[in-house]
Amino acid sequence: MFTCKQVSKSLQQKDYKKLPLVKRMFLQLHVKLCVFCGKFNRQVMENQDICCHYRKHEEEILEYTHPDSVLNDEHKTIIKEEIAKNLKSDLEG
Amino acid sequence: MPNVEKENSNIKQPSEWVDLYGDYLYRYALSRLKNPEVAADCVQDTFLAGIKALDKFDGRLDIKFWLRGIMRNKIVDQIRKSIKSQTVDISQEDEALMESMWFKYSGIATTNPDPWEFNPRKQFDNKEFWAVFIECVDHLKNPIKQAFVLKMLEDKTTEEVCKVMDITPNYLWVLIHRAREQLKGILKEKWLNRDSV
Repeated sequence: MFTCKQVSKSLQQKDYKKLPLVKRMFLQLHVKLCVFCGKFNRQVMENQDICCHYRKHEEEILEYTHPDSVLNDEHKTIIKEEIAKNLKSDLEG
Repeated sequence: MPNVEKENSNIKQPSEWVDLYGDYLYRYALSRLKNPEVAADCVQDTFLAGIKALDKFDGRLDIKFWLRGIMRNKIVDQIRKSIKSQTVDISQEDEALMESMWFKYSGIATTNPDPWEFNPRKQFDNKEFWAVFIECVDHLKNPIKQAFVLKMLEDKTTEEVCKVMDITPNYLWVLIHRAREQLKGILKEKWLNRDSV
């Protein structure tokens, strides 16, 4: 079994879902039963779940929430010119 | 220039990248950096770095995600630059928390955090929830926000974040704790009051 400090440290280091299965099970059991760190670390795990879901679905979330955040024509032209310059110097080099 | 089309006909040539992936990468950079000019520069730097490294592209990933990988490093560089110009100071309150017996003993800040007033996991399929979430992350202030973006959204290791921000792992933990606390507060306020506005 883990101590509260080991559970907290483990959750600080990485998402609980990335832990090996057995370690994750013991950790989840500790958090479920512990009267000292349970409430706190349950919220840490909740926050990790929120961020993990966000990372996984970020592309569609951003497309939905920021549909107007696109490169403007001026930026596009400048970047295309820079790419062309770069490709040309690569060819010459 | 490396002619990647010969090797893999699915890979688009760099001259097409802006139209194909520009908006996607820009949106990603803007969500992290918030400044449209800096985000556009980041996209440009990503494409130029991509051209240089194209020989190393092995085709295992979609090139869009490969470019995003390059961009994530550029974003970390940008955050590192902005931190260099304003070093991260530890507030007295945070120092007291790190020195507290309770933290040293158990590694947690409190046994009794404020409860959630709604279950966030039940909102994961609701796109409106994510719009509010992004708004809430924007409300965080540096260095709390920088720590949260690097550790929780960019998914960097504790060691990497501490190196970029030049802070100790304990202080990173305090910053992430503050971010969690503040996010929960703002999310609760915005989410529960969204219909009354």
